[in-house]
Amino acid sequence: MTTLITKTVSKACVPIIILFSVSLLFAGHDLPGGGFIGGVMFASAISLLYVAFGLKYIDSIYSYQWDKWFGAGLLLASLTGFGAMLFGYNFLRSLYMLVSLPLLGDVKLLSTTLFDIGVYLVVIGSLLYVFKGTGEDE
Amino acid sequence: MDTMQQVPMILIALPIIFAAITVLFRSKSGLQKALNIGVFAILFVMSLSLLFHVWNNGILVYEVGEWGKYGILLVADLLGAGMVVLSSLISLMAMIYATDYMDRKALDATFFPLFNLMAAGLNGIFLTGDIFNMFVFFEVLVLSSCGLIVLTGRGDHTKMADKLEAIFKYLILNMVSIILMLVAIASLYATVGTLNMADIAVKIAYLAETGTLPWHIHVIAMMLIVVFGYKAALFPLHFWLADVHPSAPAPIHAMLSGMVIKVGVYGILRVHYLIFQESMFMLQPVLILLSLVTIAVGATSAVGQYDLKRLLAYSSVSQIGYVLLGVGMGTAYALTAAMVYLVNHAIAKSMLFLATGETLYHAGTKDIRKMGGFVQSAPFLSVIFLIGAMSIAGLPPTGGFFAKLVLFDAGLGAEYYIPIGIALVFAIFTLFYLFRTWLSIFWGEVKEHDKEDTYKSRNPTIAIKISLALLACVVIFLGVYPEPLIVLSSTIAEQLLDPQPYIAAVLERSVR
Repeated sequence: MTTLITKTVSKACVPIIILFSVSLLFAGHDLPGGGFIGGVMFASAISLLYVAFGLKYIDSIYSYQWDKWFGAGLLLASLTGFGAMLFGYNFLRSLYMLVSLPLLGDVKLLSTTLFDIGVYLVVIGSLLYVFKGTGEDE
Repeated sequence: MDTMQQVPMILIALPIIFAAITVLFRSKSGLQKALNIGVFAILFVMSLSLLFHVWNNGILVYEVGEWGKYGILLVADLLGAGMVVLSSLISLMAMIYATDYMDRKALDATFFPLFNLMAAGLNGIFLTGDIFNMFVFFEVLVLSSCGLIVLTGRGDHTKMADKLEAIFKYLILNMVSIILMLVAIASLYATVGTLNMADIAVKIAYLAETGTLPWHIHVIAMMLIVVFGYKAALFPLHFWLADVHPSAPAPIHAMLSGMVIKVGVYGILRVHYLIFQESMFMLQPVLILLSLVTIAVGATSAVGQYDLKRLLAYSSVSQIGYVLLGVGMGTAYALTAAMVYLVNHAIAKSMLFLATGETLYHAGTKDIRKMGGFVQSAPFLSVIFLIGAMSIAGLPPTGGFFAKLVLFDAGLGAEYYIPIGIALVFAIFTLFYLFRTWLSIFWGEVKEHDKEDTYKSRNPTIAIKISLALLACVVIFLGVYPEPLIVLSSTIAEQLLDPQPYIAAVLERSVR
């Protein structure tokens, strides 16, 4: 799979896919999108890199420990739940406010977004950990 | 805000948070040991305080995310809170034991995160008030226990290939059963339009009252019996247990046989006694028949085994039959007996499995025929093993005596003479195979004299001794002073047979 065409196309595509996955992540809970879909898309972008350039080449640039991403995501998601408890509400009680920002206009800030980012990291971490683990297996 | 109100959620969320933290600090197993023992001690204390709170103040309902009547609820009633206390006790002891028992490699890899997720799954199943959430926690439990079975400990003489084979069976069969559960839940939802168990119970009771109960409700009840019977290793679905449980390392084996198979019994008690009371008239005879066959098959299979772990696994199959016999008889006294039996078996069996793991390490083999005379080299283990065997066989002064006494008394009181007769015969089988095993392992001559020096060097460490001794104390306590457990169980049985307080607590609360 490591032909010149694949390498060139994936170099062009991967940043776009990652940006699109982030936009899916922030699309929110009432529109198509969210942490899970965004995370799967991010993982597919990175696995495209692994397929096109090979595990060894990517690891020689920077060796990602995807299991740490998984842990961080799970921690963030569950701490979001505990955050509501600190303010005397029940676990996972969410809060939102409307903010007017320059250039962006009215933005809905949701505390659930933190939870979604956690899900995003868990999905990326677990999928890529499995991909990398099965890829490294002789 | 009452802090007690938050405890049901913390019991589920705290292990999940620590699963995340232990993933982040995987390589520092010394720190992890102390941290995790601390967490499980906190969970045990919190579950005890939850049980006392529920005992004094009635059922505790917790809305996750405060979504009002559409949200997911956690309901801590006496049954749920009691099961959480039991599972926290056993997981605390298994955790203390595992810190010295498991290989360094296993502790550095995935043991702590998966064990935490397993505890979260168990607590979630026992505390949730939503049937779909129960399904989700079943998945958490199954996947984490699959990962835990592959890990190795020091007394673990199972080949990796056998472990992988066992996990493959466990995973495939669990997926089949979990799909059945999903289909059952989906049909239930299509019929009554809600997933909240109390709400389903109200709607089905209304349908039955007006005489418009659809026939497929009975089919759903039977499908769920298959799912929970699979979890509990009821007779035609028991075959996987003797392959899967013995290939797990001792602390996980104790958790699986002590708690995870009780999840099936809990499911029948919770779902069938709450929702499917209309179908119980035809399910109870089936349950009694199948549990008797389970008792017979488990006990006779155990008699012929020479592999110590397999023998005890078949013994678990047979003992879960006694619990389900009580559940099947269905009178208030029989349900009390089933609860008492469940608690006693969970504690005694997990103690026996922990002691077995250490005995296998001591012996260096898992073949009973090659062991003998260990009372000289391992007196502590022989005492613990004897207490465990006495409790499972039902001899005073251990808790198992009262469990069997109450169960047989309940059966005779409800005039189930033939089932109790059969159960009594196989109770004698239990006595026979457990004491034959104990005698051949700990008494008699040392079979392999060239290993005598290695026997002396392989002794339990302090942490292992502490966990075994504490569990032995609980077993003896339940035998000497059984009243609190019996009173608690009879209250639970009354609540199961009259679910109105549960339904009222869930549905008639102030909605935001």
